[in-house]
Amino acid sequence: MQRSHGFWAEAWRRYRRRPLGMVALAFVGFLVLVATLAPAIAGTKPVLCRYKGRIYAPCLGYFDRRLEPAIFAKDKFRGTYPRNLAEKDPGSWAIWPLFFQDPYRSVRADEWPGRPENPAMDQGRPSRSHLFGTDQAGVDVLAKMVHGTTVALLVGFVSMGIAGSIGIVVGAIGGYFGGWIDMLTSRVTEIVMCVPTLVLILAVLALIEKPTIWHTMAIIGFTGWTGIARLTRGEFLRLKASEYVTAARSAGAGPVRIMLRHILPNALAPILVPITFGIASAILTESGLSFLGFGPPPPSASWGSILNGARSNLGMWWLVFFPGTAIFLTVLAYNLVGEGLQEATDPRLREARK
Amino acid sequence: MATYLLRRLLLGGITLVAITVIVYGLARNMPGNPLTAQMGEDPSRKITAEDYARMQRAYGLDKPWPAGYRQWAANLLRGDLGRSITRKQPVTTLIGERIGPTLLVSGTAFVVIWLAAVPLGLYASARSGRFDERATSLVLYALYSFPTFVAALFLQIVFAVWLRGTAWELPLFGMSDLPPEASLGARLLDVGRHLVLPVTCQTYVSLAYDSRFIRANMEEAVRQDYVRTARAKGAGPWRVLFHHAFRNTLIPLVTLLGLSLPSLIGGSIIIEQIFTWPGMGRLFFESIRERDYPTIMGLTLMFSVLTLLGQLLADLLYCLVDPRVSVA
Repeated sequence: MQRSHGFWAEAWRRYRRRPLGMVALAFVGFLVLVATLAPAIAGTKPVLCRYKGRIYAPCLGYFDRRLEPAIFAKDKFRGTYPRNLAEKDPGSWAIWPLFFQDPYRSVRADEWPGRPENPAMDQGRPSRSHLFGTDQAGVDVLAKMVHGTTVALLVGFVSMGIAGSIGIVVGAIGGYFGGWIDMLTSRVTEIVMCVPTLVLILAVLALIEKPTIWHTMAIIGFTGWTGIARLTRGEFLRLKASEYVTAARSAGAGPVRIMLRHILPNALAPILVPITFGIASAILTESGLSFLGFGPPPPSASWGSILNGARSNLGMWWLVFFPGTAIFLTVLAYNLVGEGLQEATDPRLREARK
Repeated sequence: MATYLLRRLLLGGITLVAITVIVYGLARNMPGNPLTAQMGEDPSRKITAEDYARMQRAYGLDKPWPAGYRQWAANLLRGDLGRSITRKQPVTTLIGERIGPTLLVSGTAFVVIWLAAVPLGLYASARSGRFDERATSLVLYALYSFPTFVAALFLQIVFAVWLRGTAWELPLFGMSDLPPEASLGARLLDVGRHLVLPVTCQTYVSLAYDSRFIRANMEEAVRQDYVRTARAKGAGPWRVLFHHAFRNTLIPLVTLLGLSLPSLIGGSIIIEQIFTWPGMGRLFFESIRERDYPTIMGLTLMFSVLTLLGQLLADLLYCLVDPRVSVA
């Protein structure tokens, strides 16, 4: 006799059968890999180096400036490693990133022995030394994109984490309790839905003294939960009338326990679908904002801000093609994952496949 | 029915008040005001402190924002949307000027979308699972994920830079290059050429979404008993598809139409911004940047009313098309 699988194992089995969904999932995995390895792929700081008898990893400075070992600041490296390492400690060695290019600044002439200065203005066509070209300031586009992957991934997860939590809580409370509480939560949802998102985002960004990428993510999250709340409310309305909820209630379970332990797990699959689609649209919103010039200020590398540079000079097609394709593929991947999830978990569609 | 309508309108009114209070409060609390926003751009417009104080009083900017909101709401109840501070024109005039260009783009896009989406959706459900349908659906799906601003930049590069000097060249931005003295035919042609790129950008995403939506509803409909009955009584495949299945998917379609009302009149901020199209979306964007409170409020009010009306309309049409659904 065969053991029956749980709901999620069954859903995963079904999801695995969709080749496009699997490719999309692999692409997201690839992005996570690029984001975590970004300083080792492109950067001007050694991944690992031995300096004055000790081993350091200066590349961690790309994640957080404080992680860059203090000794290099004390020895006046000023962010230039290759020459300083050789001059100040002839016995040193270093493992360099795959591409010696910085995502935040142009690489100067002879910074890497024998290499010319990065081409600036509209001269930076893609070439062997700059696979994706350079922008007006001479910054390598590939390096910028590799480091921008972190932003793209974080925007999706952080903002939808916020939106998902708010949406589920608001929708669950409204759907479960009904009556005037439902009326109240539905009105709040409607209000947030109607307030123009751009006004909200621009106003809040203007109100904050030093806006960072985290603020943008938070605002996208705080405005993007309405769809999730509506769906959650619908699911809770439907499920609270089911027999097992009545059974739980007669067994003495309180409303919080019923909502969390009994209804939510059963409502989670349909709620996850709009969250996945929401990740895609959050990435679109963030890159759109950066494109309009309201993105995080430098030194933050967002794919959308590279596009912004192309607006003033359309001849620089590489500033559109590479980041544009990256945004497109990422959004497509999340949409495909969402669609796969929908088909794998929706029992009505499941019937049809058999 | 009457009580339902009354209740909806009442709730809608409360929602409107809440939205306008939030937007007004946010707008007034953004750093700077319409006077400083203008001066920042142009040093020759620097004014003395007394003049500044006098102008602040004249526009009611010296009072705290709740008082300003009350003033705005009181004027609104008298049917007055106020005057733009930065453009020195009544807000209604500004909206009247901008609504035409926006409708030109969104209206054209709307017609193209529905003329193409319905046949595409039907075609996809008729050939469901075959190779050609799979390929079309995949392309549409990819288009749906393609960001508008990237598409707009691509189109600009191809049609305005690479094809410059050829017959295929299309204007980069604006609505018209010709002076108003030019003949009507030439001007129409000119506006038409300017329309191509913005309309394309506004069309493709919705086209992909709507045709997928139609197809999803069709898949649901063809599984119903009445479709099996129609087939059993000998109706041809196209007749079954169109007469029996498609007619029953009109209900969700009508809802979608109602919900697209605000974007139809509100226009797209990003598209109008990229193509410097003199429409509502661009007016909105500019008024936020100029801190032009009356214009921001006028447009916000219009968008919210349209959104709420669209929802109400969708619900009402729903029970008009399907007698089984009742509003109560």
